Amino acid sequence: MIAPLSASGCRGRFWRLLWTAPLLAGVLLSCGQPHPSNNEAASAAPPAAAYEAHVVAGDVPPPGGSLRNPHNGDAGVARGGAMLFNAMNCDGCHGTDGTGWVGPNLGDGRWRYGGSDAEVFNSIYYGRPHGMPAFGGTLGIEGVWTLVTYLRSLTPPPNVPTESWQN
Amino acid sequence: MGAVRVAVLIPMAVALLCGYGARAAPQSASADGDWTMPSKDYAATRYSTLAGINAQNAGSLHPVWTFSTGVLGGHEGQPLVVGDTMYVVTPWPNVLYAFDLTREGYPLRWKYRPEVSANALGVACCDSVNRGAFFADGKIIYNLLDGHTVAVDARTGREIWKTQIADVGNGETATMAPLVVHDRVIVGAAGGEFGIYGWVKGLELSTGRIVWSARNMGPDAEMSVRGETFKPPYEHGADLGKESWGNDSWRTGGAPVWGWMSYDPQLDLIYYGTGNPSPYNAEQRPGDNKWSTSVLARHPGDGTLVWAYQFTPHDNWDYDATGAMVLADLTIGGQSVKALVHFDKNGFAYTLDRATGRVLVAQPFTAVNWAESVDLTNGRPVLNPAKQTGASRGNTKDICPSLEGGVSPASPPAYSPRTHLFYTSTSNMCMDYAARPAKHLKGVPFVGVNAPYSAGPGGYLGSFMAWDAATGKKVWENKEPFPNWSGALVTAGDVVFYGTLDGWFHSADARTGRVLSKFKVGSGVIGNPMTYRGPDGRQYVAVYAGFGGDWALIAGDTRSDDPADIRAPIDPVKDIARYTSQGGIVWIFGL
Repeated sequence: MIAPLSASGCRGRFWRLLWTAPLLAGVLLSCGQPHPSNNEAASAAPPAAAYEAHVVAGDVPPPGGSLRNPHNGDAGVARGGAMLFNAMNCDGCHGTDGTGWVGPNLGDGRWRYGGSDAEVFNSIYYGRPHGMPAFGGTLGIEGVWTLVTYLRSLTPPPNVPTESWQN
Repeated sequence: MGAVRVAVLIPMAVALLCGYGARAAPQSASADGDWTMPSKDYAATRYSTLAGINAQNAGSLHPVWTFSTGVLGGHEGQPLVVGDTMYVVTPWPNVLYAFDLTREGYPLRWKYRPEVSANALGVACCDSVNRGAFFADGKIIYNLLDGHTVAVDARTGREIWKTQIADVGNGETATMAPLVVHDRVIVGAAGGEFGIYGWVKGLELSTGRIVWSARNMGPDAEMSVRGETFKPPYEHGADLGKESWGNDSWRTGGAPVWGWMSYDPQLDLIYYGTGNPSPYNAEQRPGDNKWSTSVLARHPGDGTLVWAYQFTPHDNWDYDATGAMVLADLTIGGQSVKALVHFDKNGFAYTLDRATGRVLVAQPFTAVNWAESVDLTNGRPVLNPAKQTGASRGNTKDICPSLEGGVSPASPPAYSPRTHLFYTSTSNMCMDYAARPAKHLKGVPFVGVNAPYSAGPGGYLGSFMAWDAATGKKVWENKEPFPNWSGALVTAGDVVFYGTLDGWFHSADARTGRVLSKFKVGSGVIGNPMTYRGPDGRQYVAVYAGFGGDWALIAGDTRSDDPADIRAPIDPVKDIARYTSQGGIVWIFGL
């Protein structure tokens, strides 16, 4: 399952869309490059069974791969991801700058399905219940990592537990 | 009291003996204690002849019963009461409750819990709302968010039929309440934010079979334009619904149907409004974009289009026209007119001739600056060039009303034939509108705008008002600190009822607006009050409390000083979390 996903990641509908959004093409040049080997412990490509952080029954984690963002912390990729966020209509549900609308706020640090690179990747790539569409087929692996890099660049405001209306 | 009770109980007993067999024919006077369709009657007046509650005694209204629906989505719509049963439809997952009003505590007779795909939540633009059910032919008929219409036996709760009407994968959801006319169930789909190809369908009441389907734009053949029967009041020519869209943009042009429908039995016409054209960047769809943001009049039997009028040609502000079309016979300039009255998101209240669609009166009912006026000679708005939007124009500032509308279409008005006044909530907000190109991608939003809101002029965000549609003038107005999102109810007791976004439920004098009673109902009100005569012969008023809908963004656990919670576009209502939060409660009030 892994190889076909990796191979198709750069040739999907996303590339046809990019012809009409030339500004975005630059951020995805790396898509033509070989992906890191799937033999590595952590991969940029989705393994057949990814493991996400949950409570582990009996302290025995299930077998499964993990994911590594090849662009972790890259500000240039994050800027491209911001454009991609609008170009793919993500803002239509998640609001301008990811601040939320019918879909949840993506910049407040409160994640329904986890906020790690791998969890955010899986949310976008495979979709989630309660309405998140699967974008993996359209965006490919590289496109999804570009979005993850953007979302992880958003800085949540400080969480102040108390709000008071008293003087 | 005794004689009154007997007079009340006899028709009820007859109704019980005969079952719920009557079809959705215009109601007889004896049925006036019921509320069998979303807007009370085919004219969509939300007027009840019940007068047990009046301006003298309404001050002692108090809650007599509450029920948590177990659902926290925005509770739009209204209950039905048929005989001695109350029916309540929840937001997704669209549970249908049937309460036995004859027993203490109103226990359930039954509950119908359909299977509704959670995927629909991702293509519902504005929360998981449902706008209610329709009772006809012994069936409770309503739409499921995931694009199905169901008919449930009103007595047993058993499903009679279930028909897929819409395609969630294509961005379509079903939030509106159906309208049943004779043996047709008329339904439509939401999806103006997803580039759908908007439509209405007519289903067979007994089987749910789709008998006809008609687009709201596109070639005449797809719009059910049949020969010379289509006579719009101001335009002529073939394929207006196609030729008014540059770049073939009608194919993904939106024009959804998610509001209310009304029906004139004499003209045999149904009336409904269409939503915004897609996308919000209007430069991608040059032309008027007919018949988005319009009212359409069709024959219910086969869907034939008879006339259409567009309130906002080439909409570039998201001014959906899905609000109610209220049918009333008014006296205008000394002449009796069969009128259709509509409060539009664009801020104008329109009085049309409902036989022809011609505009008789069009006046702003809230702050409006996108247009100067409406030209009655051609029906078109006189535009303010400074308030037009589009990607090439950048950010157009301070447009009134905001894209939430001068009133939400989800908040239907009421009309009293006693006061000759219309009653409506309003929203007093403006916006900036920065459009940019949007790419259509099936199943995801097709929008392309950033449009933060701001408070409108006057230092308040909403109101509840009385309106004279014959002259186009405001008669009284109760200002509210927040946009008002409740529907209206008016009765022969000359009392109006409405809720507020911060969770108050009001009764007021229909002639003056003086508030007669108020009660805090536990969550903001975006539903519509209704009234009925209970099995004890007394008049009751019911309403949902359930903050959400367009306000879902701040309906949860929010902080007014946290920029992650209070941010554009909804920041004008920043401290509402001090007063309310999400809920899902049915309230019943009595004397």
